[in-house]
Amino acid sequence: MITFAIFFFFAAIAVIFAATVVLHRNPVVGALSLVASFFALAVMYVLLEAPFLAALQVIVYAGAIMVLFLFVIMLLNLQHQEEPRTRPVQQFLGYTSSAAFGLALIYYLAKFGVTQLPDGPFVSDARTVGIRMFEAYIFPFEMVSILLLAAIVGALLLSGRTGAMGVAPLSSSTTTENLAAPHDETPHIEVAP
Amino acid sequence: MHGIDWVDVGLSVLKIAIVLGAMLNVTPIMVWVERRGSALIQDRPGPNRVGPFGLFQSFADAFKFVLKEDMLPAKANKILYTIAPMFGLIPALTTIAVVPWGRPFALPGGRLFEPIIANVNIGILLIFALASMGVYGIVMAGWASANKYSLFGGIRASAQMISYELALTLAAVSVLLAAGSLSLTDVVWRQTGSFVLFNVIKLPAWNIFSPSMWMAFIVFFVSGFAETNRMPFDFAEADAELVAGYHTEYSSMKFALFFMSEYMAMATMSALVTTLFLGGWDIPWYTEPATWIGFALSVLSFVTKVSIILFIFVWVRWTIPRLKYDLLMKLGWKVFLPMAVVNVVIVALFIARGWL
Amino acid sequence: MIPTHWFLILSAILFTIGVCGVLTRKNGITIFMCIELMVNAVNLTFVAYARQFHQLHGLLFVFFVMAIAAAEAAVGLAIFISLFHHRHTIDVDEANLMRW
Repeated sequence: MITFAIFFFFAAIAVIFAATVVLHRNPVVGALSLVASFFALAVMYVLLEAPFLAALQVIVYAGAIMVLFLFVIMLLNLQHQEEPRTRPVQQFLGYTSSAAFGLALIYYLAKFGVTQLPDGPFVSDARTVGIRMFEAYIFPFEMVSILLLAAIVGALLLSGRTGAMGVAPLSSSTTTENLAAPHDETPHIEVAP
Repeated sequence: MHGIDWVDVGLSVLKIAIVLGAMLNVTPIMVWVERRGSALIQDRPGPNRVGPFGLFQSFADAFKFVLKEDMLPAKANKILYTIAPMFGLIPALTTIAVVPWGRPFALPGGRLFEPIIANVNIGILLIFALASMGVYGIVMAGWASANKYSLFGGIRASAQMISYELALTLAAVSVLLAAGSLSLTDVVWRQTGSFVLFNVIKLPAWNIFSPSMWMAFIVFFVSGFAETNRMPFDFAEADAELVAGYHTEYSSMKFALFFMSEYMAMATMSALVTTLFLGGWDIPWYTEPATWIGFALSVLSFVTKVSIILFIFVWVRWTIPRLKYDLLMKLGWKVFLPMAVVNVVIVALFIARGWL
Repeated sequence: MIPTHWFLILSAILFTIGVCGVLTRKNGITIFMCIELMVNAVNLTFVAYARQFHQLHGLLFVFFVMAIAAAEAAVGLAIFISLFHHRHTIDVDEANLMRW
């Protein structure tokens, strides 16, 4: 009974804040609404008996990735860049086609989706997930760590400071007066998840 | 509604009331300790007018905060400016819910009273998750104030916090690896008892005395200073450099909220250091009985340890000068992160060889 | 216990909102945020099916998707910053030439 109330409440929060991301002009408000939406999704994961993943969702998504988004929005001072209005044709086509897609998806999910309840509890604590990860999924795990290293190196190269890796920046017309950054020689601040 | 255990609900409400009362009272006590402690270190009297030994100074401060004018800068973003201080309170008040503060004992009805508000088995992950939320308060406060010094202070403080969160997390991982569980109750239970060092001294089995985890203690403790924006890492509020950093434009109760959340975060960090490394509620060289006497003694032991760490926070603030910002970031990434990783490897080695 | 197809419908709604945002907005950062929303909707589907069939594969897949989305966010934002330095605008319609 009370789980249904929790489900509807947090589902409503997730949907409303997701709609705010799409509809609001200001990207800062959009980023913060997305954080609220991710929190609501973490509650959904708890309802799905995966609390480890709920904590990971808050740590990785709401706590690291969205902080990165907020840093970029605030440092580039994007709030004053008023986004030009989308052309009415594009708006109309965008809304109608996504609405049609969404309605079709929901209809088929309601009709053919899995309806019987799962039997028994689901053991998904950290120990079980960890054992499965290091036994069956060890190769993807190592590949993901190499991929993260590649992402760090790529982000450092792209950010355009001279001498960051001993090479010239990839974009040649980088000017530092667009960045609201201090002038002293600070090392790169990278958010590693 | 049938099926709800009302005694359980009542006990939970009691636990929440106790912990909330303790956390909310930390700020006035710490303000007094800070001001008298700093006066002691700087060889001056400190506040001694308001009440004996200046004990009512915190009341005077609270009065002042309530009566000041609450302003809003003209160009500030109203919604973000108002909710930013509330985000600072989230990590301070919610992470204390998974910290055990006493020994579980049997109530007269046969029920076990566990002095921890939420005994989930992913306790430490919740702490990391909610500690990441503290960054949002600072970033929003710095940006919504429409003041470039606040923005610089906010960005620097949040960059510092996310950098030291990594070292903090990895240092805690060493402890969790040794305990074999993510729950803080298991971490504390593992630290009860004692062991003999070099066949000479009998030490309590706390993690700080363990030969594999003392490096993690140093990393965790110093990163705790950085996480709570205390000296020598208080770049966010560097008085002489950025006016007051991210809370320059805040006055009256909103500033009081920032102020309170800083002291509460300090108390939570002290509680975490105590639980992970100093044995939590364990009394050294003594096994507590599982009765209410044992419970009371263990709570006293916990509060004593937390108070000692809080005093060390104050002591360090008035002793060590502030680190320069790029040196601070170098310390976090190039010294503490490798140290924490090496410590995880050492603990894993100890476990594999059976010494732990 | 909540039926699984409710979670699937919630995931479909979030995915649709994300698609709508990607198609309609012109701000690069907002499009990126809508892509993250779509990825999260798919994560919810994975976890819902993992619970339904008591398989841990769904959870582990979500774990890897989160790690990859983090890497993608870092590199994507670095690309966006470079783009912003060149064009001094956030409109993605302005990134319409293949050369700098």
